[in-house]
Amino acid sequence: MRAVPLAGLLAGCGGVQSALDPAGFEAEQVARLFWAMLVASGVIWVLVLGLAHYASGRREKPWSQRDAGRLIVWGGAVVPTLLLAVLLFFGLRLMPELRAPGGPLRVHVEGEQFWWRVRYHPPGGAPVESANALVLPVGQRVEFSLSTRDVIHSFWVPALGGKMDMIPGRTNRLVLEPTRTGEFRGACAELCGASHALMAFTVRVVEPAEFEAWLAREAAPAAAGTGHAGEAAFLAHGCGACHSVRGTAARGAIGPDLTHLASRPTLGAGILENSAANRAAFIARVDEIKPAARMPAYGTLLDTEIAAIAAWLGMLR
Amino acid sequence: MLIHNRRHANLWTLLAPPAIWAVHFLLCYVAAAIACAKGGGPWVDLTSLRWVILGITLPALGLILVAGRQARRHWGFGTDDPPHDQATDEDRQHFLGYATLLLCALSFVSVIFVAMPAITIADCR
Amino acid sequence: MPPEADAARRRAQEERLERTWETPPGWRYWSAVNNTEVGLWYTATSFLFFLLAGALALLVRAQLAVPDNDLISASLYNQAFTLHGTAMMFLFAVPIFEAVAILLLPTMLAARDLPFPRLSAYGYWCFLIGGVFVMGSILFNSAPDAGWFMYPPLTTDPKLTGIGADIWLLGLSFIEVASIAAAVELIVGVLKCRPPGMRINTMPLYCWYVLIVGGMILFAFPPLIAGDILFELERLAGWPFFDASRGGDPVLWQHLFWIFGHPEVYIVFLPSIALLAMIVPTFAKRPIIGYSWIVLAAVGTGFLSFGLWVHHMFTTGLPAISLGFFSAASEAVAIPTGVQIFVFVATMLAGRMTRSTPMLFAAGALAIFVFGGLTGVMVAIAPFDWQAHDSYFVVAHLHYVLIGGMVLPLFAGAYYYYPLVMARKLSDRIGRWVFWLMFLGFNIAFLPMHFTGLRGMPRRVFTYPGGIGWDWLNLVSTLGAVVFAAGVLLFTWDAVWGIRRRADSPRNPWGAGTLEWLNPIPGPDYGVRSVPAIASRYPLWDDPELPRRVDEGREFLPDAEEGKRETLVTSVLDARPIQCLRVPGNSFMPMAAAVLTGAVFILTTFHLYWTGLAVGVAAILSILVWLWRGTAMVPEKREKDIGHGVRLPLYASGIQSVGWWAMFITMTGDMTAFASLVFSYFYFWTIHPVFPPLDAAGMKMGPGLLWPGVALLAALGAWGAMLWARARNGAGRAGGLRLGLLAATLLALASGGAMLMGPWAGGLDPTTHAYPAAVWVLLGWAALHLAVGVIMTLYALARSLAGKLTRDHDIDIHNVVLYWHFAAITAVVTLATVALFPLLA
Repeated sequence: MRAVPLAGLLAGCGGVQSALDPAGFEAEQVARLFWAMLVASGVIWVLVLGLAHYASGRREKPWSQRDAGRLIVWGGAVVPTLLLAVLLFFGLRLMPELRAPGGPLRVHVEGEQFWWRVRYHPPGGAPVESANALVLPVGQRVEFSLSTRDVIHSFWVPALGGKMDMIPGRTNRLVLEPTRTGEFRGACAELCGASHALMAFTVRVVEPAEFEAWLAREAAPAAAGTGHAGEAAFLAHGCGACHSVRGTAARGAIGPDLTHLASRPTLGAGILENSAANRAAFIARVDEIKPAARMPAYGTLLDTEIAAIAAWLGMLR
Repeated sequence: MLIHNRRHANLWTLLAPPAIWAVHFLLCYVAAAIACAKGGGPWVDLTSLRWVILGITLPALGLILVAGRQARRHWGFGTDDPPHDQATDEDRQHFLGYATLLLCALSFVSVIFVAMPAITIADCR
Repeated sequence: MPPEADAARRRAQEERLERTWETPPGWRYWSAVNNTEVGLWYTATSFLFFLLAGALALLVRAQLAVPDNDLISASLYNQAFTLHGTAMMFLFAVPIFEAVAILLLPTMLAARDLPFPRLSAYGYWCFLIGGVFVMGSILFNSAPDAGWFMYPPLTTDPKLTGIGADIWLLGLSFIEVASIAAAVELIVGVLKCRPPGMRINTMPLYCWYVLIVGGMILFAFPPLIAGDILFELERLAGWPFFDASRGGDPVLWQHLFWIFGHPEVYIVFLPSIALLAMIVPTFAKRPIIGYSWIVLAAVGTGFLSFGLWVHHMFTTGLPAISLGFFSAASEAVAIPTGVQIFVFVATMLAGRMTRSTPMLFAAGALAIFVFGGLTGVMVAIAPFDWQAHDSYFVVAHLHYVLIGGMVLPLFAGAYYYYPLVMARKLSDRIGRWVFWLMFLGFNIAFLPMHFTGLRGMPRRVFTYPGGIGWDWLNLVSTLGAVVFAAGVLLFTWDAVWGIRRRADSPRNPWGAGTLEWLNPIPGPDYGVRSVPAIASRYPLWDDPELPRRVDEGREFLPDAEEGKRETLVTSVLDARPIQCLRVPGNSFMPMAAAVLTGAVFILTTFHLYWTGLAVGVAAILSILVWLWRGTAMVPEKREKDIGHGVRLPLYASGIQSVGWWAMFITMTGDMTAFASLVFSYFYFWTIHPVFPPLDAAGMKMGPGLLWPGVALLAALGAWGAMLWARARNGAGRAGGLRLGLLAATLLALASGGAMLMGPWAGGLDPTTHAYPAAVWVLLGWAALHLAVGVIMTLYALARSLAGKLTRDHDIDIHNVVLYWHFAAITAVVTLATVALFPLLA
C-alpha cells in the first residue's frame, strides 16, 4: 500500500474530468508544469510571508536604510526577474510543442446550443457522423478542428489537455494525444446560454484496433430492425426533420445524429444516464431538463408513443 | 529629444522609457498579427518576422540605454543617495532621474521578455 | 496687533470661511458639490453596491452548495453572477477608488476643494442613476445574463439575450462617462492643486497612484466605450461588427473589452495599494523606504497593464507567437508588483512597528495577495492557462488578487481613515473579529476552488453533477462564503451603528506624518484653516509647529474676504503658486444635468429614440447653462493677496488654466476611443483577404475620393478659421473673433455633411457587411466631433456677444481651439483611413 498522505493527495486529484489526473500528452506536460510551479510558489510564499511576519514584530535595532534598500533591489527586483525569465522561457518553448501537428485521424467538432456535433475524418475513408460522445485511439495524436455556427463554446477535456474556443466564423485547431485508455469527461468551458452547465460529453480512449472496429460500426447504418412502433412514432411526429437515424427516413441535420444513440453512455450531451426512462423524460420534458434547448418538449404525445420511441432509440446500437 | 541632452527631467522624460516599451510591444504584436492573419494558415514560416522583431528590439533596447544615460545624469550619477526628499531643485531633479533610471531597467527587461517568443516560436500554429 | 484684536480678526476670518463653505441645510443639502459631501455620498453608495453584489455572490454560492441543486433557475443564476461581476467592477471597485480619492485627495493636498467640484457632483449623480438602473434590473428579472464580459454573438442576438444586454451596455456606458469625469478631476487635482512647495518629489505616494490610475482610466475606458458603441449599433440597428456571417468578428469585441478589462484590474488594485503606502509608514513610524521604487512600480504597472489583455484570450486560437508577447508582458508585470510588496516589507524592517487594526488587515492582504500573484504568474504561462482558463482555478485566482489586492487594503484604509472622515475610530476589538471572519472565511471559500477548477469544473455553471469530485469542495466554499459575509456585515454594523456610542477621535490619532491629518477632528466645512507651504514628504513629523501656524491662519489664503470659494493652483513640477482659483459653489445644476443625461441612456434602452433625442437636447442645454453660469467667470479684480505678500491672478487662461488641462485630458481619452474605432477598421482589413469587399457589381466598395476630399478641405478650413479667430481675439479684435467663429461654424457644417455624403453617395449599406458599417461609424464619429465643435464655437460666439469672452478673459476661446486641434486630427485620420487606405490595401 502507498503511503497515506500521497494516496490522499492523489485521491484529491483524481476524477474523470481532472487536469491533475492526466491521461494525455498535453495534460501530463501541464500537470508536471503545475506541480513544479506550485512547489516553487509555495517556497516563495513562505519566504515572503515569513519575512513580513518578522518585519511586523519588534526588533532590538531597526534595519538601516541601506540594508532595507538592498532588500528591495534583490528581493523585489533582481531575483523575481530571473525566476520569471526562466519560467517564461519554458512556457514559451512548450507552446509550439503542444501545438505540433496531429496524426492522420482528424475529428471535426462543432459546438451547438447545447450539444456537440462530431464528425470523424479517418485517413482515406468517408466522414463518419456522430454526436456528444468521443471515442479516441490511445497513443495517436488526433487533430481536432473546432467550429460553431451559433455562439461561442469552448471544447475542454481536462484529462487529455487544455481547452480551445469554438468561435463563429473561425475554425480552430487542437491536438490531443491520449496516453492511456479509460473513460473521461469533457465540457463546454465558455458561457453559451442558459444550459451552458448542461453541455458535456464523454470520451472513451481505447486501443487502436478497438477504435478501428468501433469506427466501422459507427459508420454503418442503424442496427435496429425497421417496423418498430417507436420508429413509426419517431417519423410520424416529425423527429426526423431535425435528427438523422441513418438507415431510416430520418435525415434531419439540425439536432444530434441518433444513428447509434444506444451505444453512447449518456443522454442530452453528457447530463443523463442513457436509460429508457431518461430517454422518455427527455422527449417529454426537455424544456425543464435543458432550459433554452432548441428541441421542443413533446409532452403532448401519448405516454405509449413516448415509451415506444424511447425503447426504439434504445435499440440503436 | 526627450531622452537625450535634456537639461531638466520632467514627467515626460519619466514616461519615455516605458513608452518605448509600449511602442516596441505594439509593433511586435501588430507585425505578428498581420504576418499570421495575411499569411494564410497555421504553418506559415515566420523567419522574416523573427528578423523584423530582432530589428525592432535592438533599437528599442538602444533607445532605453540612451534614456538611461540621461536619467543617470539627471540623478547626479548617484553621488547622492535616495530618498531625494528635500524641497530643492536638485533633489527634485535627482528623484526624477533616479525613478527614470529604474523605469529604464524595468523597460529594458520587459522589452527582452516581449522579444523572447521570437526565439522559440517559428510559425503561426 | 494686540492679542484680543488678533483673536477677533481670526474669528471673523473663520466665520467668513464658514459661511462661504457652509454645507447647505435641509433639502438643499443635496445641492452640495464640496468634495467632503460628494466624496461621502460616493463612498457610501459604492459600498452599498458592494453589499448588494455580495448578496448576489451568496445566492450563487447557495445554488452551488450541493450538486444538481434547483434552488434558483438557470436564468436567475446567470443574472446573479453576471450582475455580481458587473456590480463589483463597475459599481464598487472603480467608483470607490474615485470616491475615496475625492474624499481624501484635497486633504492630502491641503486644498479646499478639487478644481471642478460640480463635475464631481455630476459624476456622482450619473453613477447613482446608472448604478440603480443596472442593479435594479434584477428585480424585474431582466438583468444582463451573459457574463460581465458580454461576449457576442450570445449577447448581440436579441433572440438569445433580452433587454438585459442593453441595460448593461447603456447603463455602464453612462457610468464610464462618470469615471472619465472623475479621472479628469483627479489628474488635474494632483498636478495643479498641490500646496505651495509640495514638489513632485515630496508629494504623498497616494497622489502618485491617483495620477497614474487617472491616466490609466483615460486609456482603458474609452476602448470599452468605443466597443459599446459598436455593440449597440449592432443590437439596435443591425450593423454587423461582431457577426461573422456578415464580415464581422466576435473576437473584435473580446479585444476591445479586454483592452479595457485588464488595465481595469490594475485600476482597482493600485489605489488600494496606495492606501497601504500611506498606512505602513505611519505604523512603522518612519518615512517610506523606496519612494522612487513605488513611483517606478506605479508607472511601470500602468504601462505594462496595457500589454496583458490577450491573456484573457489565450484559448481563442490566436497564433502562439501572439500569445507569447502577452504571456511575456504578463510575467513582466509581476516585477513592479513584487517591488511594491518589498518596499512595504523594507519600510517595516527599517521602522519600529506598532500593532494596529489597519496593519492587521494589511498583513492579511499581503498573505492573500501574494498567493493570488503567484497563481497569476502561473496562468500567465499560456499552456497552463489552457487548462485553468474559464475554470474555477481562475475564479480562485482572481478573487485572491482582488480581495487581497483591493478589498482588504480598502478595509485597512477604512479602519485607518474612519476618524478622519467620520470623526470616530472603528472598534479595534470588533475589527479583530471582522478581520478573522473575513480572512478565514475567504480562504475557506476560495482555497478549495483552485482544486475544484483543476479537477475540471468550468466557471459560470448553474449546476454540476455529483460524483465527479466537486461536491465537498463546493460545499466548503459555500460555508466559507457565509463566514466571509458575516465579517463584512459585522464591519457594516460597526461602521454605521457601532461608532455612534463612541467619543470623537483626537486630532491625528495615529501620529501620522502626512497632511490629511493636519485638520482638527471633526474638521470644519472649509477644510484647512490656511494653506501651508510644504517642504517635506512628512510635514507633520518634520515640522511639529505646522498645525499651530495653520490653525492661527498664518499660512496662505486664511480668509474668504469676497465670500467666494477659493483654492490655490500651483505649477506641475515644483508647485509654485500661479493662481487663486475661484471654484463654483453648491448647485442643483449637476444633478439636473445628470438626470437628463441618464434619461437619454435609459430611453434609448427602451428604444424610445425620439423622446431620447428631445431629452438629449435638453441635457446639452442644461450643461451649457451650467457652463455659462459656473465656468470662466470674470473676477471683479485682477489679482488677490493670498498672504505673506504673495499676489496671485484670479483669472488664467490657456495652458495656465485648469480648464485647459481638463479639456486636454478629456480629449486624450476621446482620442483613445477614436483610436479603438480605427483599430476596428484595420482589424477588419486583417481578417478579410479582399478589402474593401466587392459589391454586387464586382467593384470595391468605398466612399470614393470626392466627398472625403471636400470634407477634408472644409474641416481644415474650419480649424484654420478657429486659429485665426483666436489670433484676432488676442489682438483685441472682437469683430475678427466673431467672423472667424462664424466661418468655422459654416465650414464645419459643410465638412460634416460631406463626410456623411461619401458613404451615402457610394451606396454603402451598413447592415450588409462589417466594412460599410466600419466606414459609417468612423465618419459618423468624425462628423459628431464637428457637430460638438459647432456647439462649442457658437457658445464662444455667444460668450463674446455677452462680453464674457474678451481679449483679457479668453479661457473659452483657448479651450475651444484646443478642442478643435483634436477634432481636426480626428477628421484627418478618419478621412485618410476611409478614403486613402483602400488605395493601398
